Amino acid sequence: MHPLHREHEGKGPTRGVAVREYIPDTVTIMMGMHIGAPSTPCVKKGDHVKVGQVIGEPVGFLGIPVHASVSGEVIDVGPVQSLGATPGTAVTIKNDFADEWVDDLEPLGSVETCPVEKIVPAIKNAGICGMGGASFPTHVKFAVKEGQSCDTIVLNGAECETHLTADHRLMLERSVRIVDGLRAAMRALDVKRGIIAIEDNKPDAIEAMRHAASGRAGVEVRPLKTKYPQGGEKQLIYVTTGREVPSGKLPLDVHVIVLNVGTAAAIADAVIDGRPLISRITTVTGCVKRPSNLLVRIGTMAADLIGECGGYSEEPGKVCMGGAMTGLPCPTDLVPVCKANNGVVVYSMKESETLEETPCIRCGRCVEACPIGLNPYKLKYLCDADDYEAAKKANVMDCIVCGCCSYICPAHRFLTPSFKNMKDKITARAKKG
Amino acid sequence: MAKNKSLGAIIKNGLLDENPTFRLVLGTCPTLAVTTSAINGVGMGLAATFVLVFSNLVISLLRNLIPDNVRIPSFIVVISTFVTMVEMFMHAYLPDLFEALGLFIPLIVVNCIILARAEAFASKNGPIASICDGLGMGLGFTAALTLIGSIRELIGNGSVFGFRIMTAGYEPMLLILMPAGGFLMFGLILGAINAITAKASEKKEGTD
Amino acid sequence: MNLHLASAPHAHSNQSTPVLMRNVLIALIPCVAAGTYYFGWYALLILAASTASAILAEFAWQKLTKQKVRINDCSAAVTGLILGLNMPPQSPVWLVCVGSAFAIIVVKCLFGGLGDNFMNPAMAARAVLLASWPVRMTSWVMPTGINSFGVDAVSSATPLTNLASYTYKDMFLGNIPGTIGETCKAAILLGFIFLLITKTISWHIPVTVVATTFVCSWLFGKDPVGSILAGGLLFGAVFMATDYVTNPMTIFGQIIYSVGIGLMVAIIRNFGNYPEGITYAILLMNIATPLIDRFTKRRVYGHRKEAKKQNG
Repeated sequence: MHPLHREHEGKGPTRGVAVREYIPDTVTIMMGMHIGAPSTPCVKKGDHVKVGQVIGEPVGFLGIPVHASVSGEVIDVGPVQSLGATPGTAVTIKNDFADEWVDDLEPLGSVETCPVEKIVPAIKNAGICGMGGASFPTHVKFAVKEGQSCDTIVLNGAECETHLTADHRLMLERSVRIVDGLRAAMRALDVKRGIIAIEDNKPDAIEAMRHAASGRAGVEVRPLKTKYPQGGEKQLIYVTTGREVPSGKLPLDVHVIVLNVGTAAAIADAVIDGRPLISRITTVTGCVKRPSNLLVRIGTMAADLIGECGGYSEEPGKVCMGGAMTGLPCPTDLVPVCKANNGVVVYSMKESETLEETPCIRCGRCVEACPIGLNPYKLKYLCDADDYEAAKKANVMDCIVCGCCSYICPAHRFLTPSFKNMKDKITARAKKG
Repeated sequence: MAKNKSLGAIIKNGLLDENPTFRLVLGTCPTLAVTTSAINGVGMGLAATFVLVFSNLVISLLRNLIPDNVRIPSFIVVISTFVTMVEMFMHAYLPDLFEALGLFIPLIVVNCIILARAEAFASKNGPIASICDGLGMGLGFTAALTLIGSIRELIGNGSVFGFRIMTAGYEPMLLILMPAGGFLMFGLILGAINAITAKASEKKEGTD
Repeated sequence: MNLHLASAPHAHSNQSTPVLMRNVLIALIPCVAAGTYYFGWYALLILAASTASAILAEFAWQKLTKQKVRINDCSAAVTGLILGLNMPPQSPVWLVCVGSAFAIIVVKCLFGGLGDNFMNPAMAARAVLLASWPVRMTSWVMPTGINSFGVDAVSSATPLTNLASYTYKDMFLGNIPGTIGETCKAAILLGFIFLLITKTISWHIPVTVVATTFVCSWLFGKDPVGSILAGGLLFGAVFMATDYVTNPMTIFGQIIYSVGIGLMVAIIRNFGNYPEGITYAILLMNIATPLIDRFTKRRVYGHRKEAKKQNG
C-alpha cells in the first residue's frame, strides 16, 4: 500500500525544512498523556514553576510524572477538553519567558559509561512514554518479567504515516542522540543487537544514521522498503527480525522491544543531561500557509502551532493529530500537544467531506491490502450486525486499525472505523466480565 | 384444532393460507416437472386432489384402527390404491394426458402433500373435516400448478390451454419449458407471492 | 469553527466504484468501434439498445422497490454493454432488451443488487438467451462493413468449427464471423492495456485464463494460437472473468479460478456440444467462487499453525 503516493505521501512541504523552535505564551499540560491512570497535579493556581519541575505525580503501575515545559505562573488547574471523549485534568502555565530550569537535574554523563542500574529510573523520572503515537510508558516496556528475555531492540524510524516528517527531521538533526538513546536502552537491558529501521524513501536519514552509528557496538541501520504500514510494530518486528508476534501477545514474547526514534532521543536527553521530556518535534502541515516541523513544548495548543505556521491557508474542515491513516480528529483547534503527538495536519473542507458508503463490489482490494491478512469485507458485515462472537472468530482483535482497507475501498465503506468500534466494544465487554 | 374451524375455513386454509405449493413448498417435484403447459397442471392437480380426498377420508375412518408403529406403510397402501385407480382411469379415458404426465402419475404415491395431510390432518380429525382438508389442499395444489403451467406455456409456447394468445411473430422462450426454466419460474412466483403477502400483512398491522 | 470528527483514515484513494465502472466502459470503446466497423451501424444500435435497457431496468427496479437509485455508478451500463457485445450482429433489438432486463432484474437485483449477485449478470443472461433462442444466438455472418444496416449477409459458421479457413491476421483484426465485440482481438488488447494502466484490474485473471486454454488446446491436439484468436475467449477473459463481484478475493484464489475457466473452455470446446465454452466456463467458476474463497483465505498475522511448527 502506498497511500497518497502521487502527493509524495503529503511529506513534500516539510521534509526539507529544518526544525525551528516555537515557544508559546501559555501551555496547557494534560495529566493523562500516557496510557494508564492520569497523574495527580501537585501544583496549584498561583504557584511559580520552573522548566522541568514535576507538576504531576505518577499514579499506579503505568504512571509517569509530568513536568512543566515552561517557567512561569500556574494560572489554572482543571478539566480541559482534549482528544478523548471526556475532558481531562490539565495544568495551564503562563510563560514568563525566563526559561529558568530546575536545579536538581541529575545528569549521568556518557551512555556508555554511566551506571547501568540508573538508566531505567532516569527514564521513568523523565516521564518518557512512547512518542510514536501509542504513548505506552517506556520504563514499563523495559520491565522484563521472569521467563521473558529480550535480545533485540528495534528503533522505529520508518515513519510510514502520511504527511509526517518529524522523525525524519529528528534523524537528520539529532542522529547522534538517537544512537545514544538506543545504546542506553541496550545497556539497561543487556541487549547485544540494536536495529534502526528506516524506510528507503529517506536516503538522507539513512546516511545520517549510518554515520552516527558507525563504531557503536551492536547498532545497525536497516533500510526498509517504503510501504504502509511498514512502521506498524508487528510489521516492523517481522521485517527486521523475521519473527511474528503471536496473536494476543506482546513483542517481548518474541524477545524484541520496539522504540520510536523520538523516544530514543528523549532517553538520551534523560540519561546524559538528566532532562525530562518537555518538548518534541511535531510536523504542522496540510492547509497551513507555511508547513513546518516545530520543536514544541508539551502543552502547546494546536491553534498556536497553526498560527506559527502562518495560519490556515483555507477554511479548515478537519484538524487531526497524526497522519492521514491513523490521526485522531480534534473537536476544535484548541487542543494541547501531548508527548505522543507527532503531527498536526489540517484538511480543507473538500478533503474532509464524508464519502457516501455504497454497496461492496467484492473487488478484493481490502483483502490484498490488509497487512494482517484479515477479510475486511466480510468482517464489516459481522460488525454491522453487532455479532461479537463471529467478529472475534474472524480475528477482529488482530486488526491493527492501520486504515489500509478504508483507504483503498472503492465503495467507500467505513471499514476501519467499524473495526475499531468493534474492538473497543469487545474490550469493554471483556472488562465488564 | 379443526374442531374449532368451520369446514369452509378448512378448505380456504388449503387454498390460500397453507397453499401446499406456495406456502408449504411441498410436492415440488411434480410442480417443476409437469407444469410445461396449463392443461398438464390441471390434470396433475385434479389427479392429486382425487387421491387426497379419498385417502384422507379412508385414513380418517381407519385412524383409530391403525397401530401407530405401522401407520406410514398403512397410509402408503391406502394412497397407492387410489393412485392406481387414477392411473388406470386416465390410461383408459385420457390417454393424451396420461402420456404427458407419464411417470409422475404413479409418483403421486410419494407426493409429500398427500402423506403430509394424512399424517398431519386425517389421522387426527374426523372424516368430514378430512374430506374438506383434502379438497382444499388438492384445489390449492391444482390452482398453483395451473398458474405456473399457464405462465410457462404462455412464455414458452405463446398459448394458454392450447389457445394461441401471442401474435404470430412471437418467438417463444424455450428455456422456460426446460427444467431450469421450471425452477426459475417457480422461484419467481414464490418470491412474488411472498412479497405480496408480506406487504398485505404489513398493511393489516398498520390499520390494526 | 465547525470541524469534522470522522475517524481515520482521513485520506482516500482516488478509485471509486463509478470510476472503476467508467474505466471499464472506456476500455470497451475500441471493441464497440471495431464491432461497428465490421458489422455496420445496426451493431451499434444493438449496443445502444442493450446498454439503455439495462440502465432502464435497474432504474425501474430501484424505483419500484423504493431503493436508492444507483444507476450513476455505471454498473448497469457495463452489464448492458458487455451483453450487447456478446450478441450476434444480426440479433433483433427485442432480444437484447430481454437479455438486459433479465441480467439486471433476475440475476442482479433479485439477489440484492450490486455486489450480491452470485453470477456475472451479462453471462447468465447470455446463457439464458442461448438456451431460449438457440437459432438466433448461433447464426453468424461474415463482416459486412460499416455501411451495411442489417442487410442480407452471408451466413457462416463460427471460426471455431473450422479453424483452418481463416488466417491469423483476419482473426486478430476481427475480420471473421462472431459476436459484435469478440472478433477484434486488437481492440480487446487495447482495452486490456487501458484497464491495466488505470489499475482497474490486475493481469492475473486474463493472462492465466488465456495461458491455460493455450496449454490445454495444445495438449488436446488443437491449434493453440487459433483457439485463442477464435471465439470469445479473449473478450471473456479480459472483460467478463474479471467481474469483481463474481471472482475470488485473493490473487491465489483468482489464479485457481482462472485455471478452472481455461480448462473448462478447452474441455467444452473439444468434448462438448457447443463450439464455444467461455460463457459456461465463467458461469461454472462463478458458482465455485465462494468455495475458492473459503479455501484460499490469507493466513492471519500471528496465527501460525502450532502443529506444523512442532512437526517441522
